[in-house]
Amino acid sequence: MKMLEIKNLHAKIEGKEILRGINLTVNEGEVHAIMGPNGAGKSTLSNVLTGREGYEITQGEVIYKGENLLELEPEERARRGVFLAFQYPVEIPGVSNIYLLKAALNAVRKHQGLDELDAIDFLTLVRSKMQLVKMDEQFLHRSVNEGFSGGEKKRNEILQMALLEPQLAIMDETDSGLDIDALKTVSEGVNALRSPERSFVMITHYQRLLDYIVPDFVHVLSEGRIVKSGDKELAKELEKSGYSWVHDAPEPEGQPA
Amino acid sequence: MKVLTDIHTDFAAVANSRDVMVADNAHWKTLRQQAKEQFERNGLPGRKEEDWKYTSLWSLGQEQFVHQVSQPGYADIHELKLVEDAYRLVIVDGRVDLTASYLDGLPEGLTVTPFSQSIDRASEFLNQQVNLEKPGFNAMNTMLMNEGIFIEVAANTKVDKPIELIVVNSGHTAHYAMHLRNVIVLGKDSQATFIETYAGNNQANGLTDVITEISLADKAELFHYKLQRESLDHYHVATMAASQAADSQWHNTNISLGGKLARNDVHSQLLGEQSHVTMNGLYLVTGEQHIDNHTRIDHAVPNTTSEEVYKGVLDEQSHAVFNGKVIVHKDAQKTDANQSNRNLLLSRGCEIDTKPEMEIYADDVKCGHGSAVGQINEDQLFFLRARGLDEVSARSLLTFAFAVDVIERISNEELKQSITGVIEKRLPRGGA
Repeated sequence: MKMLEIKNLHAKIEGKEILRGINLTVNEGEVHAIMGPNGAGKSTLSNVLTGREGYEITQGEVIYKGENLLELEPEERARRGVFLAFQYPVEIPGVSNIYLLKAALNAVRKHQGLDELDAIDFLTLVRSKMQLVKMDEQFLHRSVNEGFSGGEKKRNEILQMALLEPQLAIMDETDSGLDIDALKTVSEGVNALRSPERSFVMITHYQRLLDYIVPDFVHVLSEGRIVKSGDKELAKELEKSGYSWVHDAPEPEGQPA
Repeated sequence: MKVLTDIHTDFAAVANSRDVMVADNAHWKTLRQQAKEQFERNGLPGRKEEDWKYTSLWSLGQEQFVHQVSQPGYADIHELKLVEDAYRLVIVDGRVDLTASYLDGLPEGLTVTPFSQSIDRASEFLNQQVNLEKPGFNAMNTMLMNEGIFIEVAANTKVDKPIELIVVNSGHTAHYAMHLRNVIVLGKDSQATFIETYAGNNQANGLTDVITEISLADKAELFHYKLQRESLDHYHVATMAASQAADSQWHNTNISLGGKLARNDVHSQLLGEQSHVTMNGLYLVTGEQHIDNHTRIDHAVPNTTSEEVYKGVLDEQSHAVFNGKVIVHKDAQKTDANQSNRNLLLSRGCEIDTKPEMEIYADDVKCGHGSAVGQINEDQLFFLRARGLDEVSARSLLTFAFAVDVIERISNEELKQSITGVIEKRLPRGGA
């Protein structure tokens, strides 16, 4: 079954066209990697999918589980199961991690018509998820990401994902700023969450992450379009020859030049 | 105009009618006479007066305040208590409410009474911390004050429970004005916690004029919390002033949520070596509210320290003023003074005038100050929304997060919880 369908998506920021006709279908349970050089539109794509302000959609549509995703507010997308793992998780001094986790989980549960978890059940659940990303319990009582290392911030993102159990996870440059140990931990966390009902879109510049989280499909994004799609072997090819060749690729069929 | 010319309430006439109270106390009588003369000369300050530059008293001058209750006021203090177990004095519409108060079983060494019942003792400390000539409400308060709390802690006494003052304007008498004087005297090596709450019915549209004078002897320590949560149609003018002897500590937290116009003057004189003052402030204003905090710290002798953090959240058309003066006097070497004022603006219509002032006349000191004005961080907002929090809750949460460190500094856990609750309810656009 289709989870996400992006059709001929065009988007501008500050008058500049960044996405120029993206087509992509993600089915339930699939892991897609979107790779591309800097400036290809990778971050714009994740921002548009999660509803960050400042982008103008000029053409196309995005259907998520039968709904027009672009009409929903960011929080409505989140409650329906779309999760963005941020490239740069923001620090929020004064808001404790545990408060954030609880508020986020309750927002999702409320949308699903479930009661809020009581304090004990909540803590039990959070503890079990923390083991998954090897996070110490002291992180619960610290302000969100404040003073966390790069790796701790990314693990915190995966912890939130594990707790919220999204249908569609969009991972924006999750490997950036991670040393090899942190990358392994984060990848193990993600792999544990793979399931036939859950889909992933991983946006990444480097192939490295894909050694740990093996995708079903790899797409190459260049100048706002997907110029090539393939399986995991495509990523290895990119690793070898870099992105220079993608600029010479022909326009995909059926797309205006 | 340095002086407000148009004052509709005849405060001097009210003072004359209250003279009977002071008949038996020569010191108070003299002070009141001086205050009347001073008030007749200077009245209330106009905006040409430097300390009143951003706060106009014009609308206060236009009010016809009433000094007699038309019907007895009543207040349910159940919701107003910030701590359960306390020695408590409740004042409703200027009168002590004995049934709501709790002053039983005071330990040895502690005196807590209504001001009106300790006139002779309290008068000994009157106007030691405030100056009648200062432009503002000192003269008015001195000629009109007729109630308040008197606290005296004997040397070497650590008070076992907080002392709580709850002042309510019930709103039963329209435009009702209260003039209160609190006197707090801590003896050598004593310790106490004082919590004062000013509240009112939503309809209350009167005036609360209060001066709290504090005297801290050597090694005395006062934890002092003020919560002002009066109605948005009410006027509130207050001074908290302390003189501090050697090794004394005054931890002052000043939270302003209510009032149409609220003005606080907070003043510490560090007169003894190793004395310390903490000034924590928080103001949350919205609508057409106007809040003005003027603080002043005098480092008069060597080796004194001060730590001041004032934070403000402004919404809608509100206006806030912060003026923080730190004066390091000549010879006050090794002073360590830190001051900051940070403001969060939630709308385009609000205005903040912030002015940290440091006057340093000694050369071996450590002083820092800063002020900042900012808005909700859009990246934080998006992050929270991307985690499913609706925009209103996310903004509310970020607003609370901004203010939280002032609350975190409250050392009494129960008090911290109840003040958190009060503030959450007052967050712009509902609680988190």
